Amino acid sequence: MENLKNIEINPLKTSSSLGAVIVFLGIKNAVVLMHGSQGCASFDKVTLTKHYRENIPVYTTALNELGAILGGSSYLKAGVKNIADKINPAFIGITSTGLSEVNGEDIHATFNELKKELKESGDYDNLSLAYVSTPDYDGNFEEGYKNAILSLLQTFCIDAQNNIRNISDYKNNDKNKDNGAKEDIKNIRANVFCPFSFTAMDFLELRDLLEDFGITPVMIPDLGTSMDGHLDENGYLQTTSGGTNIEDLKKAGLNNLNIIIGSSLKSLIAPVKKITGLNTYYFSNVSGLKNTDLFFKFLEEISLRKTPERYKRQKRQLMDAYLDTHFYFLGKNIAIAEGIDILDSFSEVLNEVGANIKIGVTTSKAYENLKNRFEILTEGDIDLFGELIESDGNEIDLVISNSNAGYTAEKIGVPILKAGFPLIDRIGHNFKHYILYKGSANLVYEAANLLMSANEKIMKEEE
Amino acid sequence: MQLKVKEELFDEPTCEHNMQKKEKKACKTAVPGSSTGGCALDGAYIVLSPIRDALHVVHGPINCLGNSYNQRTSKSKGSETFYMYGMTSSINENDLIFGSEDKLKKGIIYAVNKFNPKGVFIYNTCVPALTGEDIGGVARDLTEKLNIPVVPVQSQGFSGGKNLGNKIAGDALFEYVIGKKEPNIDILTDYNINLIGEYNIKGELFLIKKALSDNGINLLSNITGNATMEEIMYSHKAGLNVVVCSKALVYLARKMEEKYGIPFIEESFFGLSSTNNAMMHIAESFKDAKLIEKVKKNIESKTKIIRKEIEPYKKFLTGKRVLLYTGGVKSWSLISALNDLGMKVIATGVKKSTEEDKNRIKEFDANGNIIMLDNGNPVNLIKMIKDEQADILLAGGRNQYTAIKSLIPFLDVNQERINSYTSYEGIVHLGRQIYLELNSPVYEVIRKAN
Repeated sequence: MENLKNIEINPLKTSSSLGAVIVFLGIKNAVVLMHGSQGCASFDKVTLTKHYRENIPVYTTALNELGAILGGSSYLKAGVKNIADKINPAFIGITSTGLSEVNGEDIHATFNELKKELKESGDYDNLSLAYVSTPDYDGNFEEGYKNAILSLLQTFCIDAQNNIRNISDYKNNDKNKDNGAKEDIKNIRANVFCPFSFTAMDFLELRDLLEDFGITPVMIPDLGTSMDGHLDENGYLQTTSGGTNIEDLKKAGLNNLNIIIGSSLKSLIAPVKKITGLNTYYFSNVSGLKNTDLFFKFLEEISLRKTPERYKRQKRQLMDAYLDTHFYFLGKNIAIAEGIDILDSFSEVLNEVGANIKIGVTTSKAYENLKNRFEILTEGDIDLFGELIESDGNEIDLVISNSNAGYTAEKIGVPILKAGFPLIDRIGHNFKHYILYKGSANLVYEAANLLMSANEKIMKEEE
Repeated sequence: MQLKVKEELFDEPTCEHNMQKKEKKACKTAVPGSSTGGCALDGAYIVLSPIRDALHVVHGPINCLGNSYNQRTSKSKGSETFYMYGMTSSINENDLIFGSEDKLKKGIIYAVNKFNPKGVFIYNTCVPALTGEDIGGVARDLTEKLNIPVVPVQSQGFSGGKNLGNKIAGDALFEYVIGKKEPNIDILTDYNINLIGEYNIKGELFLIKKALSDNGINLLSNITGNATMEEIMYSHKAGLNVVVCSKALVYLARKMEEKYGIPFIEESFFGLSSTNNAMMHIAESFKDAKLIEKVKKNIESKTKIIRKEIEPYKKFLTGKRVLLYTGGVKSWSLISALNDLGMKVIATGVKKSTEEDKNRIKEFDANGNIIMLDNGNPVNLIKMIKDEQADILLAGGRNQYTAIKSLIPFLDVNQERINSYTSYEGIVHLGRQIYLELNSPVYEVIRKAN
């Protein structure tokens, strides 16, 4: 449908460079440098600041027309050095943009040159760098996010693995190898890859859960501790104040397993397995009763521990939430415009509780596995989403989307559950929790309340 | 290939800032590794997108519009309003290889057929500008085909910053929109003015419009908050241009003076004294004794009413210390508003101010105590606030977290502001908001627990 009109009207989609920026914001003591025109960084920074309500350390190489035409390598080098001198972060994550890629310059070569120069100068020994190619005219948010994760692994994990394996200091300290299976199990370390659709609270809850099973997670990225919105002991910081440690990234290949969650990260399975050399387990989502059960079963198996009582209780609570709320979903039609991960996880839950998942509009064509769950499922923009909601026979009762669909939902007069990214007209969404047993219960309660209010409104109007 | 922006846009004779620099392009460069403001596209979009019955189409990859869609706080009323809409050709790799002028054309035709707007603005961006796409040609073809003005805006981001983008937008209005239609006789009065650079943030235009009409002054065209294409087309019939808080759009006012003989003045509507002065200057520009008399009387009665309304806040705020860090014109116009409230401005940001702005700061600074703050990086701001024992920071959204994370009270006075602070009602809002923020218990509660 969208191909025929040749224009995005009220876009749902965001670009690959933005996805990469967010991954880098999940690294500890980090800043992000976008190689492009100052606008590329500024637009992203403004959106991210409004979404997270935090200072967002995003900087620009400020390519002008000379750099754009004649080559921007000197801009990139100067940008990194200026930031390192001024702010002194532990990590600078570099993304390209549409502008810096379009003339075909080899930015990766510049990046390697720069790393060499910094090393030779000896002044930047505490600085780590990673670069990811994110031409904005290619792919979307999810691809940028995924590629930035890969770049982190490629940059830190591979080199380090060779070094550490040779010295084998890490393994010796850990005493894992020689003391048999039981010791092993006490010290399980897992690399965990979560989709951006997870809220900060989702990240934090998942971390707690893994720790309760005796698994130490290395979250890559860790948007829980970096973007949960906390007042740092030191007050205002010019870098991120939490996130993945670079040192942990370097040792990722020495952990015990990889856990990848999220449809959008499915294609990470093979490369992550290859780079780390570890067993890799994939879950398209950890939402709803059935899938969360599967996830707990998996955790029991790898940890050889029983599910702790509090999670068994949460499971019982979710069952009750389904029973209590299902009346409000009977015969109700839901329309969702989100990235692929929320489309998948939210529809999983709402499907279990008995709503009709009528319309799905998303940002790419990677939705084949979800086709059965939706009556209509397509790539598109908010304008198309609005047309579908208003189409005869669809009779949508509840819309789920981000802030960009707020105006459309309001105009049509249908309640909207705002989730995803960006959420610029809501506050506290870093505290929302939509996964596992507890989060799934949160979701059905929130949706049921909106349906209940809408119902009351209709009753009043009819009186 | 439209790579170069008109040289003229870098060379503003009425801008002293510009004339003093040997390198005329001084306004447009940003250093690699800096945390800058927006690009030319951002600046052009801010100026033009409030035109509510036109479609605004960004020709570029998805990031140029998609990453920031739905963020403008310019308010709009009226039946024909597309002001919440954002459109983009969203060019992809294929388009780079095969060209995307045709896609752009088809996309615009689809949207025009669907929405039936009164005009279209096409914003060029870095990637198509580099690959040499001719949006001027596309605009010409479509103007003919669709029978509405289709305006090319050469706003590729690598040309420069927001300020340049403002000028590029002004130039597009001047070339393609202004003077293209005559107004109905019955909407003209004896005193017709245009406002230039008023974007109706939080509905501020509605307040200014009310104050103007109380004085019998007719706002013919507002450029561009809540504007229609038609009202801008006939704006050349005004007797006076009032440039509000925008150095960049003085360019447009000057061009209109040259071509249509419309004189212009630069005014601010922040604060009681500024609003009074603006009203008086507008009246004086018409050289009409009757109007001047009327405005004088109005000012007298308005001043009395507003003074009474701000009295309770003023009592508390008198002597409180403010650090003001905002752009250009607001670096002085807000000082006037804060003085009206009895507050003491200890420093004001002048990074984006012109020499003329700085002179006006001095006018409001009887004792010469206000520090002109050139380096507003967050660390420096916090240090200044602590050293000078400021009670509150008034600044734009990007400094909000700098302040509150350091437990410093804060009020947003830029485009994210929660209330409208202009005109007579605005000063009351401003006093009330600062009063409330300074009395919030939250900082003390946290300090004790910290």
